Amino acid sequence: MRWAVPSRSAFPLTVAVLAFAFLGLFLAYPLWKVLASSFLDASGMRFTVEAYAKVLSTGYYRSAITNSLLIGALTTAASIAIGLPMAFLLARMAIPGRSVLLALSALPLILPSFIGAYAWVLLFGRAGIVTQWLQGLGLPTTTIYGLPGLVLVFTLHSFPYVLLPAIAAVRAVDASIEEAGQNLGASRWRVFLTVTVPVIMPAVLAGGLLVFIETLENFGVPFVLAEDMPILAIEAYKLFVGEVGANPGMAGALAMILVLIAALALLVQRYYLGRRRFATVARSAPPVLRPGPLGRWLAGGFVWGVVLLAILPFVAIVIVALMKFRGPVMQSEMSLGNFEQLFARSHRPLYNTLGLATVAAIGASLIGIPIAYVLTRYRSTLSHALDVLAMVPFAVAGTVMGIGLILAFNSGWLVLTGGWLILVLAWLVRKLPFSVRSGSAILHQIDPSLEEASINLGRSPSWTFFRLTVPLMLGGIVGGTVLAWVTIVSELSSTVVLYSGPWSTMTVVMFRALEGQGAGAAAAAATVLIVATVVPLALVYRLLRRNNLAVL
Amino acid sequence: MTAVTISRVERTFGAVHAVAGVSIDIRPGELFTLLGPSGCGKTTLLRMVAGFCDLDQGSIAFGDRRIDTLPPHRRNTGMVFQNYAIFPNLTVAGNVAYGLKARGVAGADIQRRVGRALELVHLDGYGERQPFQLSGGQLQRVALARALVIEPDVLLLDEPLSNLDAQLRLDMRREIRTLQQTLGITAIYVTHDQEEALAISDRIAVMRAGRLEQVGAPAAIYRTPATPFVAEFLGATNLLTGTVEALDGAHLLVAALGRRFRVPAAAVPTGSAVSFSLRPEALIPVEPGHPWATVTGEIAAAEHLGALLRLDVRLGDGPPLRVAMLDDGAVAPAPGRPITLAYDPARITVFAP
Repeated sequence: MRWAVPSRSAFPLTVAVLAFAFLGLFLAYPLWKVLASSFLDASGMRFTVEAYAKVLSTGYYRSAITNSLLIGALTTAASIAIGLPMAFLLARMAIPGRSVLLALSALPLILPSFIGAYAWVLLFGRAGIVTQWLQGLGLPTTTIYGLPGLVLVFTLHSFPYVLLPAIAAVRAVDASIEEAGQNLGASRWRVFLTVTVPVIMPAVLAGGLLVFIETLENFGVPFVLAEDMPILAIEAYKLFVGEVGANPGMAGALAMILVLIAALALLVQRYYLGRRRFATVARSAPPVLRPGPLGRWLAGGFVWGVVLLAILPFVAIVIVALMKFRGPVMQSEMSLGNFEQLFARSHRPLYNTLGLATVAAIGASLIGIPIAYVLTRYRSTLSHALDVLAMVPFAVAGTVMGIGLILAFNSGWLVLTGGWLILVLAWLVRKLPFSVRSGSAILHQIDPSLEEASINLGRSPSWTFFRLTVPLMLGGIVGGTVLAWVTIVSELSSTVVLYSGPWSTMTVVMFRALEGQGAGAAAAAATVLIVATVVPLALVYRLLRRNNLAVL
Repeated sequence: MTAVTISRVERTFGAVHAVAGVSIDIRPGELFTLLGPSGCGKTTLLRMVAGFCDLDQGSIAFGDRRIDTLPPHRRNTGMVFQNYAIFPNLTVAGNVAYGLKARGVAGADIQRRVGRALELVHLDGYGERQPFQLSGGQLQRVALARALVIEPDVLLLDEPLSNLDAQLRLDMRREIRTLQQTLGITAIYVTHDQEEALAISDRIAVMRAGRLEQVGAPAAIYRTPATPFVAEFLGATNLLTGTVEALDGAHLLVAALGRRFRVPAAAVPTGSAVSFSLRPEALIPVEPGHPWATVTGEIAAAEHLGALLRLDVRLGDGPPLRVAMLDDGAVAPAPGRPITLAYDPARITVFAP
């Protein structure tokens, strides 16, 4: 034995140590600072629960907590109510344009949600295009602001979190299980309720959990639509940035409450799924349902209706961006004036966005893929701990991540605030769970015996990983990196906390346009982000469909 | 006990006649096996009885009641699926209770009947287990209990043993047979394994390309196959073709493989071709000059299979003759040795050309 560490585990051990060091410094340490700030008094020296007491005794913040929970729960319920039947129809029924629908159905997830919210305001808001048109006709209008609008926009954004895994689950249900139910005397409908739905439920609930957490941490949508309604993610931001004087203690307390809720949701789901293992492998697919013309129209109308309702606002916003504006008033004339106005002062935010997102996306893959490799190929206590740690960013809202990074790297031996690196780090850490999961999914498709053969023939584990496994994974890695890039480009919740001076991004420009400038500039900024999302996706769609969409 | 009457049933998938005009009368309390190679239509026929496959023509009745127009959940058949189809979301007891709940049986009654059914398949105490905690053989028992507990008119078994390992397969098939006989339930059993079919059935229907080749008791089908296909599909055989040379009383003399065979008489004129089946175990090694009908050749190859000795014996020309016997050490199976084989012409089956 030449080495103290067996050479078999030298490579995974190296990866694990580096990963722990990185996540410890840029995830655990900032989170610790948030936690600490929430338990320290103004002098920063004494332990106190005053911040929590203040938050919980203030009616305004209490309703921020209940509002966030309520919106999260309603959105989750609505997403399941829409996603589950859609999944069943798309998997089992010959709906016209099914392949197009399948391609479009992941799009709402990836399109920036706060731009969707803005599109709804642009159309149905107080001064919205449709609202004014209806008022002109003397018809009644309803408000898009507040709870109904929030749940609507969130649901249309996040129902694919339920739909995509549910389609896969419905397809994996073996025909014989349903036949057994019928054979034992249950009607088709009873079989659906007692067999099919329970079997696909773990997948549906796993998706529902993603909806809940995503809704909880989302900053942009409530910023556009909540108006006077207090929302956790926004109140934490306001307290930290301090419009009326910063209060890091209370901001920390709200942030920790946000993390706690998400962590609890994750634990509940783990416990629930841990007790149910329904891995079924379809030997024979159940027959495709061919309903009568009425059924076909209803089913097709429902599925197409949901998908179009989720995507059309984005089309509308692109059209609005191409219209001429005189002041705040839209003219019936096309023009590129909005884009000229948008870029009149500087192109810098655009270049920042494209460049920094590229660095962060590549970084997330460089760090995430080796972690995924160690997690899938070397099971041990250590890799299990790494698995848990690498999933933590998932439960941490972007606002909280931003606050933590500022608290941790504002002073001391490593100062990052005010620069570009802090943005890249925030995005990278936030995308890490996605990179790890996407990497694991790809690795599960590669037979480990290939690697064993390579090692058996005398190649070291690290040579095998970099020269055999990585090339085999390449298509999936490229797809995953592009997908990460696309979502980073429209990241708002941590960016809005962390950006500074010259390092503002397109989302910040859009964010500021929402507050001040006219609809034209905001629509133009939104269009730039939509193009930056859709074009790369279209380019790598084939790769994505094979490897990555399942782990969104 | 229910009789099953399948009359002139037909089904085509595109250009393929999956089931082409099959009629079978299955007697009450009988274990009836559909045997054939894959794609012969046996599973399609079973699924027609269960209601998962529609009929193009014909009808199926349980007793006097026509059932092929009923939806599958109103037919009261208990089916055991090839992959067991255990509901992964329910416990063992939940699986067994499923059909009782669908029939609106009262709660206390369900518990009692589930308990009894699990006892019947030797799974008492397993009720609260989750399916993923069970082995293949145990899943098979759950599937069986689930199908039996509803007291079905007919028990349907679709290759139920094909996912089990060899020893377990022997035990389970004996158990299925015992259960079926003690409960006196009519059963239809689908398999492609001829040994399994022979061991378990009251009667067997051999199917080929959607049609029945032969229906009968296992021993009868084995001893007197109606067609060369049946002879070859059930057990190993020597399927020989030769020319009729003469009629000698109750026997025909047929020239095949460069030798002369004595086979039971049939309405075949001298000089024409005839084929016949001679089972390997019907050939017995003897000393030259034995009074029975004999052929001579030399040993081309030998295989020891424990209790059995299997020989390939080359005659005049053509492929070697397959011979099988209990190995009592009397025959020294050295390749190249001459050997004389005696046979009883009554054990040869002649197929009309």
